[in-house]
Amino acid sequence: MRVRSRSLPRAHTHALGRTLGRTLGRTLGRGTRITAYVHALALAIVMAAPLALHAQRARPALDSAYRLGMRLETTDHYAEAADAYRAALRASPGSVPAALGLERVYAQLGRTDSLVPVLHQAIAAAPRQGELRAALLRSFATLGQLDSLRAAFDAWLRDWPHDATPYREYARLLLERGQTLLADTVLERAQATLGSPQGLELEFARTRAAMGMWESSAQAWRAALRDAPYYDQAAMFALAPAPADRRDGIRTILAAPPAETGARRVLASLELVWGDAAAGWRAIAFLRPDSDGVAAWFEFAQRAEQAEQWLPARDALVRVLGARTPPDAELAARAASDALAGGDAQSALQLVERAASSADSQAVASALLPLRVRALGALGRPEAAERLYQASATALDDEQRSALLQAVARAWVRAGNVERASALLARIPGGDSTEAAGWIALYEGRLAAARKLLPATRSPSIDLVEAQAFLARTARDSSPEAGRAFLALARHDTAAAAGQLEAAARTLPDAAPLLVTMAARLYAAHGDDARALPLWQSVVERTPSAPEAPEADLEWARALRRTGQSSAAVTRLEHLILTYPQSALLPQARRELDLARAAIPPAS
Amino acid sequence: MPNGSGGRWPVRRRATRAAMRPTMHGTTRGAVLWLVLAALLAAFVPAVARAQHLLVPMDDEQANHLKAYGLMYNALREGRRGEWLLNYRGGSFLLPDVPELRRRAALDGVTVQPIDDGTLSGIRAEIASSNMDAVPLEKAPRIAVYTPPNAAPWDDAVTIALDYAGIPYDKLWDDEVMHGDLAKYDWLHLHHEDFTGQLNKFYLAYRGAPWFAEQLEMNQSAAQRLGFPSVPALKKAVAARIRAYVVNGGFLFAMCGATETLDLALAGHDADIAATFVDGTPVDANADDEMDWSDALAFQGAHVEENPVVNSMSDIDGHQVNVPGRRQPLGTFTLFAFSAKIDPVATMLVQDHRTVIPDFYGVTTSFMRNRLKPSDVVLADEEGAPWVKYIHGDLGKGSWTFLGGHDPEDPQHSIGNAPTDLSLHPNSPGYRLILNNVLFPAAKKKPLKT
Repeated sequence: MRVRSRSLPRAHTHALGRTLGRTLGRTLGRGTRITAYVHALALAIVMAAPLALHAQRARPALDSAYRLGMRLETTDHYAEAADAYRAALRASPGSVPAALGLERVYAQLGRTDSLVPVLHQAIAAAPRQGELRAALLRSFATLGQLDSLRAAFDAWLRDWPHDATPYREYARLLLERGQTLLADTVLERAQATLGSPQGLELEFARTRAAMGMWESSAQAWRAALRDAPYYDQAAMFALAPAPADRRDGIRTILAAPPAETGARRVLASLELVWGDAAAGWRAIAFLRPDSDGVAAWFEFAQRAEQAEQWLPARDALVRVLGARTPPDAELAARAASDALAGGDAQSALQLVERAASSADSQAVASALLPLRVRALGALGRPEAAERLYQASATALDDEQRSALLQAVARAWVRAGNVERASALLARIPGGDSTEAAGWIALYEGRLAAARKLLPATRSPSIDLVEAQAFLARTARDSSPEAGRAFLALARHDTAAAAGQLEAAARTLPDAAPLLVTMAARLYAAHGDDARALPLWQSVVERTPSAPEAPEADLEWARALRRTGQSSAAVTRLEHLILTYPQSALLPQARRELDLARAAIPPAS
Repeated sequence: MPNGSGGRWPVRRRATRAAMRPTMHGTTRGAVLWLVLAALLAAFVPAVARAQHLLVPMDDEQANHLKAYGLMYNALREGRRGEWLLNYRGGSFLLPDVPELRRRAALDGVTVQPIDDGTLSGIRAEIASSNMDAVPLEKAPRIAVYTPPNAAPWDDAVTIALDYAGIPYDKLWDDEVMHGDLAKYDWLHLHHEDFTGQLNKFYLAYRGAPWFAEQLEMNQSAAQRLGFPSVPALKKAVAARIRAYVVNGGFLFAMCGATETLDLALAGHDADIAATFVDGTPVDANADDEMDWSDALAFQGAHVEENPVVNSMSDIDGHQVNVPGRRQPLGTFTLFAFSAKIDPVATMLVQDHRTVIPDFYGVTTSFMRNRLKPSDVVLADEEGAPWVKYIHGDLGKGSWTFLGGHDPEDPQHSIGNAPTDLSLHPNSPGYRLILNNVLFPAAKKKPLKT
């Protein structure tokens, strides 16, 4: 907003000088006008001296009252603060800080109506102070006095006919009140009067988005972001609700050449929200590696990590790493960790080895060791992981050695060699009582030992919850079949795991519904509804009283709906609701039923 | 009693014997006896376990008020009979206790309470001694919704409510109306169609929007196809057909802009009240004088807004949501209490578990009191305001009901907003008013007591 901070005495002096100069000039004739102006100015200064003196006297009063008001306001003494701000306004009726302070404390006291006459006086004293006009509009909006709001806007417009500020403030208030169409009318009027939307891009953008005019909104946001890149979050939140069939238009506008960092950042964030992190990364990958570009990459990486989109996060961090000198080992480790989480162990290993080679201290290199071991394990190279351990074991303390040895043991498990893993754990003092030992017992089918060793923690991993649920459901003390299934899961071989879970279910009737449900979940996660569906079906039909049956019924219905079999899905959901009326899944089932019957709008 | 129950037994015994004789031997006979006993038990035991009636409470105990209407409607559709217990626990329903209805209630999450004859007698005694009544519901009305063929169901509160409650309906538009299809239906709904043919003057704000261009083109081609010179001319003819439908006994329920513009189109049959952009000619300078309000359903003496750039049709609407400087803030509206025994129709239309409901905007939000015809029945108004919200009236053999506003659960509704998902508002008092209208044509007419 434009701020006009001309002080009252100076303004008066100049105006007085100009008026007297014109009068004297007219009286004395053209040749003597300059001299007359100088004389007049001197005269004006003399005449304005009392005003200036008054202002000088008022200034300390204003400052002290304002400071007092601030102090009282920050200590929650609103009534007293209001008195102080009013005193400040008496000393200087056009004081913007005092008026805004009064606006704040009156809002706290629920006395916004008392602010209106004060603001009228302040505006009369300082008609060029936009903040005072805006405060008056806000007050009327807060009070719901819409006629007065409109009148205040019209009055402002009469005084500032060629300025975008009144339009902007009024349109903002209308938007905040949800009066989108009115805001649009005001902005159209502004454009017609001012000749361009300059200075109103943000309001245009918000209005158009609220009206569902997505391309037009994207265009306006792009323009607004050029001068105000900090509006990127607002742009993202405004455009994110665009329906799927309108998003391409937004993409085209935000990605159009020339590449603008603000628009590209918004596009990257939007793609993340819309579920395509890779497209989000592509939107900003080719920005110049200047400070804005690097900031955009780093911010994207953080958002992608929050969304568990590990590989685009890794890509962004790698670009940040490339722009940093000297190399940042901590950032490299973070990128490697993202790569591992995203299933790209090869790039994780490269990143961590490069970081280790450039690490400037042994401590940093040691800190990177577990990551290197994990990467080697994920690549199916347990021997290399073990060699790495042996090469560095002497430089580690007991705790580090134990942690690393467990990581190497997991690498062997990942390679399918449980015996070797077991032998490594035996080297750790007390290694046979660790959680890792519990897992190995489970993989070997020694269920009684696994039951004893797997810990009950407050925030267990999903794997641990599943393993413990299984161990609680069967009375058997050993099951090599179940051990093989859990080992396949640990090796991330979900296809084999699903088959082995089914095989284990055949030998463990007491845990069969749980094991079959786990297998079905794996198939469904792979999009293999053809194999998941008969499993859900078998749980519902063969073990209808199992705790997994309502879930199986719901998932069966969802699988049917995914494959376009809505009426069959309706049958399943009705079965679920009527058969398990006490199930916690009933609200979800009823919602799915409404969706399957097209009784509510499809979920976006 | 020779011809009473004693007279029927020998016939039944004879028929049973005749049927069994060829196969009745030894153990077979015993098995058949067991089977007969089992069949008798099967027929008898559920009847004992079931109560005789299902009460569908519509007060705060109801988990899903909106789907309760669907339960009632579909029961009627299947030939069952029910009762609407006006003013009893929020306007409860009474249905026979049959497994199918229990099943449907369970699926939809509708609260039902099995009651026996004794309990029902108590309820009837309470109804008889209070401002309540029990209205028999007999026949599910056949429902039509007037809407363009390409309209999504999610932009019309009535279709949203019907879909959610599971009440089936047909969609009609200009072609069907002009071909006389309205006669096939008992109940017709209009939403925000602009019968002045000006497409709600949305060209002011949305002329660049693809959906607006599509809507304009679709209306123009309909006018051409049906032999009318312009969209306003077509819409006037459609409005006249709708009026004739009501005169002949139809039930009309209109919301939003359809209320105001239907009457403008009916009263303006001889006036040009449409702007240049849609028919090539400006609004008649003396349009107000040319209006014939005797043809209108609800309003009279309104001033037609002749300015093409003012997004308003007339001064019927009190809120003028799209006109800067005229727009009025939203308040709350209060449903009137009617005498259930004397005025059951009005009572049915205001059955609700809330009597004060937050207002909601629409192209037409409310109706100015000074524009109502004296015969209009006001069902809800905003206390102290110059407008009312919900009105009803009779015309010929039929009746009409107008409810201002667009969507009771989206008070500030703007184009492009996400559609209302009623699974998030299963107890919406505003939506109940819509569904009251769907159900009241099912009521059996009682002879007037006076």
